[in-house]
Amino acid sequence: MTQPALDLAAVSKSFDGFPALAGASFSVAAGEVHALLGENGAGKSSLMNVAAGLYRPDSGVIRVDGREVAIDGPVAAKRLGIGMVHQHYKLVKAFSAVENILLACGKGRFAGAAAVEQAIRRQAEAIGFQVDLRRPVGALSVAEQQRVEILKVLVEGARILILDEPSAVLTDKEAEALLGMMRQLAAQGAAVVLVTHKLGEVKRFADRVTVMRGGRTIATADPKARTVAELTSMIVGELVAEKRHPARDVGEPILTLEGVAGCRADGHRVLADASFALRRGEIYGIAGVGGNGQTELAEILMGVRKPVQGRIAIDGTGDVTHDGASRRRDLGLASIPADRQTYGLAGELSVADNYAVQAVRSGGLGGWMRVDGRAAQAQAATAVSAFEVQGVRGLRQKASLLSGGNAQKLVIAREFASQPRIVVAHSPSRGLDMRAAGAVHRRLREARDAGAGVLLISEDLDEVMLLSDRIGVMSGGRIVREFDTPADRQAIGTAMVHHG
Amino acid sequence: MADFLINWIANVPAFAVPFALAALGLIVTEKSGVLSLGAEGFMLTGAMAGAGAFLVMGGHPFAALLVAALAAAALSLVFAAMTVTLRVNQVIAGLAIVFLAQGLTGLIAAKQGWTNRPVEGLGRLDLGPLSDLPVVGPILFSQDIVVYLTVPIFLAVTYVLSRTMVGLRLRAVGDGPDAADAAGVNVALYRYGAIMVGAALVGLAGGYLSVGVAKLWVDGMAGGRGWIAIALVIFARWQPWRALAGAVLFGGIEALIPRIAAVGLQVPQYFVLMTPYVATLAVMVWASLRAGAQNRFDEPRALGQPHLREERR
Amino acid sequence: MADIGHRDMAILSKPEEAGNTNRARIGRLGLESRQHAPGWYQALVLAGGVLAGLAVSALILMASGIGFAELANEFVVAIFTNAQNVSAVLTQAAPLLIAGLAAAVAFRVRFWNIGIEGQMIMGSIAATAVAIGDVGPEWARLGLMTLAAALGGLAWMLLPALLRIRLSVNEIISTLLLNYVAFNLLLHLLYGPWKDPRSSFPYSQQFDAAERLAPIGWQTLTYALPLALVLAALCWWLLNVSRVGFFTRVIHANPKMAAAMGLPVVAVTLGAALLSGALAGVAGFAVSAGVEYRMTQSFFVGYGFSGILIAFMARNNPLGAVLVALFVATLFVASQSLQVFYQIPGSMVQLIQAVMVIAVASSEFFIRFRIRLVR
Repeated sequence: MTQPALDLAAVSKSFDGFPALAGASFSVAAGEVHALLGENGAGKSSLMNVAAGLYRPDSGVIRVDGREVAIDGPVAAKRLGIGMVHQHYKLVKAFSAVENILLACGKGRFAGAAAVEQAIRRQAEAIGFQVDLRRPVGALSVAEQQRVEILKVLVEGARILILDEPSAVLTDKEAEALLGMMRQLAAQGAAVVLVTHKLGEVKRFADRVTVMRGGRTIATADPKARTVAELTSMIVGELVAEKRHPARDVGEPILTLEGVAGCRADGHRVLADASFALRRGEIYGIAGVGGNGQTELAEILMGVRKPVQGRIAIDGTGDVTHDGASRRRDLGLASIPADRQTYGLAGELSVADNYAVQAVRSGGLGGWMRVDGRAAQAQAATAVSAFEVQGVRGLRQKASLLSGGNAQKLVIAREFASQPRIVVAHSPSRGLDMRAAGAVHRRLREARDAGAGVLLISEDLDEVMLLSDRIGVMSGGRIVREFDTPADRQAIGTAMVHHG
Repeated sequence: MADFLINWIANVPAFAVPFALAALGLIVTEKSGVLSLGAEGFMLTGAMAGAGAFLVMGGHPFAALLVAALAAAALSLVFAAMTVTLRVNQVIAGLAIVFLAQGLTGLIAAKQGWTNRPVEGLGRLDLGPLSDLPVVGPILFSQDIVVYLTVPIFLAVTYVLSRTMVGLRLRAVGDGPDAADAAGVNVALYRYGAIMVGAALVGLAGGYLSVGVAKLWVDGMAGGRGWIAIALVIFARWQPWRALAGAVLFGGIEALIPRIAAVGLQVPQYFVLMTPYVATLAVMVWASLRAGAQNRFDEPRALGQPHLREERR
Repeated sequence: MADIGHRDMAILSKPEEAGNTNRARIGRLGLESRQHAPGWYQALVLAGGVLAGLAVSALILMASGIGFAELANEFVVAIFTNAQNVSAVLTQAAPLLIAGLAAAVAFRVRFWNIGIEGQMIMGSIAATAVAIGDVGPEWARLGLMTLAAALGGLAWMLLPALLRIRLSVNEIISTLLLNYVAFNLLLHLLYGPWKDPRSSFPYSQQFDAAERLAPIGWQTLTYALPLALVLAALCWWLLNVSRVGFFTRVIHANPKMAAAMGLPVVAVTLGAALLSGALAGVAGFAVSAGVEYRMTQSFFVGYGFSGILIAFMARNNPLGAVLVALFVATLFVASQSLQVFYQIPGSMVQLIQAVMVIAVASSEFFIRFRIRLVR
């Protein structure tokens, strides 16, 4: 191989004494697409943030084109031709694409806006992107925002492109197009780093893979020469791939929605007409591209957003359309929200307190006069071990210190403590690695097999296909088609993008 | 009646200018994402420093106004250090600044003997024959220099905010500090700058109160105008020109207060004195009733949030 | 690891070899969040903040012309060696503590009540109305006054609380604006219908014996102090023991999660805000009926920020508030004598309080973050 365009050697970085990187090494050459794999917390993003100048390493050497450099900030990285598309886009939401790129180009004069816009248009045309350059990016779809990010990096003249989980928010088709374009850029001489979880796309689009574990890079390999199973075991050690387990005993509908509509915070009616029935003992999966009303549906079911229209009924109780979270929970509804740190946990509170919330509310930990703190601690301790929540150094530890997977386990432990009849799970494995996702899936199946109706709302089609007994496809705020499983992935994919 | 109207309207600018300058200063600060509850404190600082400078420096109104702005900017360094560098809760920091300024101005003015001492202050700018015109003469051409200067100050600040790279970066820092940081903008530097420039404008408003309007320093003379200015900014959805309109509205109310009794209306005076505060409350309610979908991108998204690059979630 | 350390040193020692396009590698300060700070460390930092605040305050006072010896005398010797002064401090602490509780209760649900002074005024007005109107039998008069004061403060909080909950109107500004409205109402009454008929001065007539909080039997101390302590104990139970207290903790930490968990967020927030107003009203009553025995023009001055300071320094803990209230009371009493003997204006109290808040708030930086040298 020729001299690497970017070479990171023995990079270490710790946060408050906890090592995120422990001597990781990675290099990428011009002309190649190099995939960086690893479980969550393996250090992929941290390592790339070092290259992009966002994190300053504690030690280690960075070379660009063989020359040792110090990257003391994003500007320095940019000057060296390193551009990174972050997992959480670094865009100013109130700004248009042009303003965002003008901002990032740094040297620009404000009067140069027209020239910048020209450059963007040229670049967009060259790679076949269509984006509205004048609207505030906050009003664009996630895929469009990603295109703005990529355009930004390219207009800046980056030769070393780092993409952090770019396909996580895209449909199959969009991901395909994006990765194809990355190949094309590599063919033109760019060095492309692809941080990803998806082994399928690694095999198809990457020239090399490097695997990280525990803050170290442990192996570099040719993906073509390895099977998916081999790659998986490199990432997590031994792990058996998940299998489908269909429902055994499906009962009567327990949760029925008729024409439910809801508005986003800005008043835009994104949930137009959701109608479906969830039955006891089944997992009903809702597939769809993000932003088609799933979030609003989940929030309405959770009881934190009021529907503007329609009817929600829980079997045996009748209409709960206008009831809040409290009554719905009393009726046996549990929810696993997509945004754990917003709706699932109070990060500032202890693990024990987070676990106790449900029991305190329902009177399980004493009356109004006194909350039984000791009993709360004991219950939390039991749950933490039963649900294998790791990384708990003490029950008084703040919940915000838990990793994504363990935080999710804590949420599930709490939600499942009272044997729910209905479980609303929204993107329950988002941001989790395979092992943690497998544990979450197992819990959902257990709840179903115990007779609960489980509603799985997920933008990850693989997850929906793997778990669901029936699948509803959501598009434009409605359930446009229902599938029995096993279903045809292609057909679901088509329904996701074509209305009705 | 016509005399009453002309007299009233001619007095509106002098009352509107403190609100306008303060609101503009607050917009500059808050556009950078820093919640500025210290306005009342900066205004008091400016007012006291202005009056003091006038007395000490031998009666130069311009020098006094400059000192007013600089004094407030200097105090705002404490606020900036707290909120930007030390990441103190911005509500607590703002309140602390208000009370720090109340205490400090009271102490310094008392020790220096400036309290209740009349100053000659700022005179009206005589525009010769223009000032003698009927109706428009007293309204448009018989104001003091600060009233006239407010217009170019507004134009300049609005231009910088909306049409320059500095303004673009400042707004980026307030709306998406992470994005701005990744784009190579020095977030802390811009916030320090926005806080100091904003405080200088609020201080200038305060200096105008003592040197231009009251021609006197009295303890606590800002009288809640700083807080009203904060409400005005929310009402104006962080848009300078709407803030200016709000300032004129409140200037109109304040200018009316001393004239109500003069006309012979029998309203108890303390109820009349409540009106600016009640009106502010009404305006806040109105603004929040109207704050619907179309205003989504007005409020700086990072308002009130400290920025830290190496935060890991 | 040793290898890496070695390489690190080499880099530091040869800056000229660093990338030409970049600035030389110089050690610079970086910040990182501290995930966990042990209790002793937090206490140490807090103590450091308090000491720094006291030091700056002392410097300001000395710069105003008070020698160090006099300062020590006024603040320490004179106060703690003299029963009369101890009694003055305790008397002053009672309303301060109640105001601090008012702030703490509201802050616990992230409701910024900056309108404590306005609510005190309304509480005192309501209590004074009962006193002037001789409402009810004499034996029940004080009880009625207390109740009226609580209702007066609560009523003054009703509008901002509802506006915040229904329309998201910023409560910082609404409660603050209402201070000015209440103050003008107070002036209207004192210069008008409630002017003292005997002296024609702008304060209310004196309260009758049955309308005053009775002396406790030691020095000038009245039942205002036991009242404040009982309220502190009740608030402690409410916030730290009861179920509602647990709810406030969750709401404080994450209101969205609290709502999703089905906690009565609106009811608890509204309840805490109204209780805060009611407590502030009682604080107003405690000054008027326990210290001044009439309603004056300025009885409330300084209590608003003091309440905030007390709640802030006590971290919204009612028992901690007792300690901080004593400290602030000492400050009040000492400053009164400074006013008399050194012509130091009363605003000095605010100045010192602000310095203390700034010092303590700033010191928390060292609890939340760690500074370290990065390259």
